[in-house]
Amino acid sequence: MFLQGERTFGQSVRTQNVNAAVSLGSIVSTSFGPLGLDKMIVSTVGDITVTNDGATILSRIDVQHPAARVLVQLSRLQDMEVGDGTTTVVILASELLKLGNNLIEAGIHPTNVMSGYRRAVAKATKFLEENMSHQVSIEDTEVLMNVARTSMSSKNISNPDYFSRLVVDSLRAIKNSSGKFPVENVPILKAVGGSSNESQLIEDGIAIPCMMVSPQMPSYIKDAKIAILDFALKPQRMATGVQIQVTDPDKLRQIKEQEESMLLARTKVLTDAGANVILTTGGIDGTAAAFLVENGVMGVQHCDKRDLRHIIKNTGGKILLSFADLDAPVEGDEYEADTFEEALEDYKTNLAGSIGSADTVSEELLKTTDTVGDLNQKLLFIRGGPTSAVRSIILRGSSEEHIDETERSVHDALCAVKRVLESSEFVPGGGCAETAVSVFLERKSVDKVIDPREQLALDAFGKAMLVIPKILAKNAAKDATELVAGLRAKHIAAQKAEGVTDDRDFGLDLVEGVVRNNFKAGVLEPLMSKIKSLNYATEAAITVLRIDDVTRLENPEQQQAQQ
Amino acid sequence: MENVIVLNSSAMRQKNNGNIQAAKAVADVIRTTLGPSAALKMILDPMGGIVMTNDGNAILREIDVSHPAAKLMLEISRSQDDSAGDGTTAVIILAGEALAVSRRLLEVDHLHPTIVISGYYKALEEAVAHTKTLTKTIDTNDDDEIRTVIKSTVGTKFVKSWSDLVCNLALKAVRTVAVTKEGQATPEIDIKRYAKVEKIPGGAVEDCQVLNGVMINKDVVHAGMDRFKRDARVVLLDSSFEYKKAESTLEIDVSKGEDYTKFLKLEREWVQKQCSAILAVNPSVVITEKGLDDEAQEIFARHGVSCIRRLRKTDLHRVARVTGATVVHRMEDIKASDVGTASTFEIKKIGDEYFTFITQDEDVPVQPKACSILLRGASKDVLNEIERNLADAMNVARNIIIDPRLLPGGGAYEMALATHLAKCSQKITGLEQKAYAALASSFEVIPRTLAQNCGAEVIRVVTELRSMHNKPGMETWGVDGYTGKLQDMAAANIWDPMSVRLQCVKTAVENATHLLRIDDVISGTTPSAGRGQRAAQEQAAGMDTQGMDVRGMNTL
Repeated sequence: MFLQGERTFGQSVRTQNVNAAVSLGSIVSTSFGPLGLDKMIVSTVGDITVTNDGATILSRIDVQHPAARVLVQLSRLQDMEVGDGTTTVVILASELLKLGNNLIEAGIHPTNVMSGYRRAVAKATKFLEENMSHQVSIEDTEVLMNVARTSMSSKNISNPDYFSRLVVDSLRAIKNSSGKFPVENVPILKAVGGSSNESQLIEDGIAIPCMMVSPQMPSYIKDAKIAILDFALKPQRMATGVQIQVTDPDKLRQIKEQEESMLLARTKVLTDAGANVILTTGGIDGTAAAFLVENGVMGVQHCDKRDLRHIIKNTGGKILLSFADLDAPVEGDEYEADTFEEALEDYKTNLAGSIGSADTVSEELLKTTDTVGDLNQKLLFIRGGPTSAVRSIILRGSSEEHIDETERSVHDALCAVKRVLESSEFVPGGGCAETAVSVFLERKSVDKVIDPREQLALDAFGKAMLVIPKILAKNAAKDATELVAGLRAKHIAAQKAEGVTDDRDFGLDLVEGVVRNNFKAGVLEPLMSKIKSLNYATEAAITVLRIDDVTRLENPEQQQAQQ
Repeated sequence: MENVIVLNSSAMRQKNNGNIQAAKAVADVIRTTLGPSAALKMILDPMGGIVMTNDGNAILREIDVSHPAAKLMLEISRSQDDSAGDGTTAVIILAGEALAVSRRLLEVDHLHPTIVISGYYKALEEAVAHTKTLTKTIDTNDDDEIRTVIKSTVGTKFVKSWSDLVCNLALKAVRTVAVTKEGQATPEIDIKRYAKVEKIPGGAVEDCQVLNGVMINKDVVHAGMDRFKRDARVVLLDSSFEYKKAESTLEIDVSKGEDYTKFLKLEREWVQKQCSAILAVNPSVVITEKGLDDEAQEIFARHGVSCIRRLRKTDLHRVARVTGATVVHRMEDIKASDVGTASTFEIKKIGDEYFTFITQDEDVPVQPKACSILLRGASKDVLNEIERNLADAMNVARNIIIDPRLLPGGGAYEMALATHLAKCSQKITGLEQKAYAALASSFEVIPRTLAQNCGAEVIRVVTELRSMHNKPGMETWGVDGYTGKLQDMAAANIWDPMSVRLQCVKTAVENATHLLRIDDVISGTTPSAGRGQRAAQEQAAGMDTQGMDVRGMNTL
């Protein structure tokens, strides 16, 4: 066969891939768990990231090996879908690969290993759902705070109580009519300075990092009527390519005047409709700004569109996309309504409906009780409004890197609490669920008659689960062998016993180095996150194990150059 | 088996990182600049420029560090400067010491970093709570009291010989720009926008002053215009007096000769019309942000109106706050109420350059809400240093007016914290106790450095101070930074704003924990698209010029 490139196949490929995945797992494993530490990642241009978040580490370190990239992608998927548990996916997958590869090297066919893994993950999912989950009601603040605290326990959060309250409060505030808690409705604003304990939830609104166009505008507006534009308030100009030929000198002036008067007329449409705050994604021209100053209207330019979308969720109204929305119908033109009066009426209601309202809009310095406010940092606060769909969190901290990491931690905690709020099911953490699955598979895998080769894979899966408590103990510098054995004993007892016993909730206490009831200790994780990470890890392991042939194609141009 | 390359081959991993050493090294660089006996640093940049300063942030801004942990240290000094405006040296020294004491815990006692961190956080919480009990509140309307506090800040700086002068300058400037707005309890004090420092080399430092108005480095546009006016009526414009074409692409076809003259005539007529609109409100001074046509210059000169053109937008807003004028954009729409007044409009020649002064008399009912601070001094370096010191002094004044709580200076506050936390640490159970006690001892670095910098017997002084603080009622004793003797700071009237000192402690401890948590440094990776990059872009868009400078320096 003629192949422009290099081909390797067979077991050596698989071993290589597995080794790559395992080495990736070993990179993130030291950041796992409450006593895991952070990684400092320095890019070629000198940007620094300090993080504990598995997905972030993997996305920053420029992984080149193709098999290892599969893991990176899956951890990203977990991040997008669940938002938490990314390190778990990588650690589990690399352990599954290691044990799977051992089986294959011992002569088991890869397909048997794969189908065994599939069977195992299905059993494990069912077991977790039926035997391990606890229920929670939205009102149970203590449990929700525990979920947030568990998610943040591995991160550098100075005051977990304060932040878990922040997370729970913000999610409760944004509950929507269909009972969901969309995390994207808690925008996080990062402001360097202060201390991280000065981070705050804006209890009645949104803050955006924008300033008024002119300091002569009023910086505080009560009963605000907000017009939100997705275009610049600048003189209208013809599209590129359109040229206007002027032969009559008088026309020259008229064109400019027309441009200006069109702009003013349209700005006036907004103010006539009652708008006293105008937010736009584009710029605000001097002419328009002067008009706004004169009419006591607050004008803010270059807003982020995402911020504006958040604002309309609270204030009502809509984002006006073009100037055309502001033109009143002209008699004689075509319009959808039957008569001109109706068209005019439609237009007026439409315009009024486009304008949102808020209790106050103000430009303020960022302030908390102990600080006097930053010297330069001014924010726009939009407080109150017909609905309370969005609440901003402002994060403070000593350096940009610190705040970035706090943001990731808060985001993970928001996702975890959201999962528990929506599905109201959680499991105890600290290696509890994984050990239970491991013990369950070990005991139950012999119950039914299945292919003995798959049996081995099922056993391997069960063993692989124990990597979680092992690494937790290792990172805490505790005796992993002793702790894991103790934990297994508890779970074997729980599963042997009739009915439900407290023993099933046992997990690791990593500070004291003992086995304890993690449900009572308040170490809680969403069930969904656990199940998803099991499934993604299995998926990743299977994807990599399937590969038995790698062909690296050479770049034809390069080859020509070599010749 | 062949090697499996997982990471980019240029990437490096470093397990036993030197973060603590790097942070300590940064702290050691600027240790000698703390306190009244501080030394200046002279920094030569690669271009041959010289910077002389003892301002912590300014030093760190100039030096180029490559270690990532050291870069994080620079960042906290900047964030301290941004949020409190002072205490940039102290924050680095505290953070460096908090890390240095942790080394023993990690390497000798083999504590897990997370235990150290949780001990640190517990101690920080107690420190913040205890700080509030040490404060004294002053009356913000009492200028003398505020001046005393500013003096204790300025005392450590180069300008200490003129400390009365700088205190007065800072206080006056801050009082001028303070504005209480609707819906806000405390006044808003925007020093950056409304108190502009103008440096003119030459003259004596004693000639520095806060103008009751503003000064701009501009001259009138036309030789025939007056350079002095009393009771000037000021019109401010942010649009051009030059004929402007429409936004759309225009092409002009001139087919006849008379059309061409007509075009020119129209342009002139337009300028004349604008001028007459302005003249209708009877101004004596016209200031514009943009250009001023020759034609318009002629017309204004003929009517005895003095004109200044091409002002910066920020300058224009300052003039507006001084004169009470509204910035006009469309000259057709100008109203009599848009015109502002100034007691004196005067252009003076200082050295080779002309400067415009727009000032109000003391007895004018509406006093200016913006000002220029005119600094004079022998050389540019001296002026730059005075400017930095004045900026610190103004920030202190601003901080006190907004939050009038004070803490004793001269290391007394830090010593009180150290003593108090050391006592509290005995009640802490578990391994965290060691970390708690270690952080407590790290606060002693401030009095220790103060004693060191003035050449006192460090161990004797600090030990004596520690034993004093263990007696009740001695919390305000600290180190006299000139003599190295112990002194009651309350009696010596040396106080610092609480907001600054507390911010120092918080930032330092948080940053220390941030660095302590790192166990692995991976460098040489290429940044990929993700949450972080987006944030970086957003940050780049909103970055001020100062930030730019820092970044530029680091990548050099």
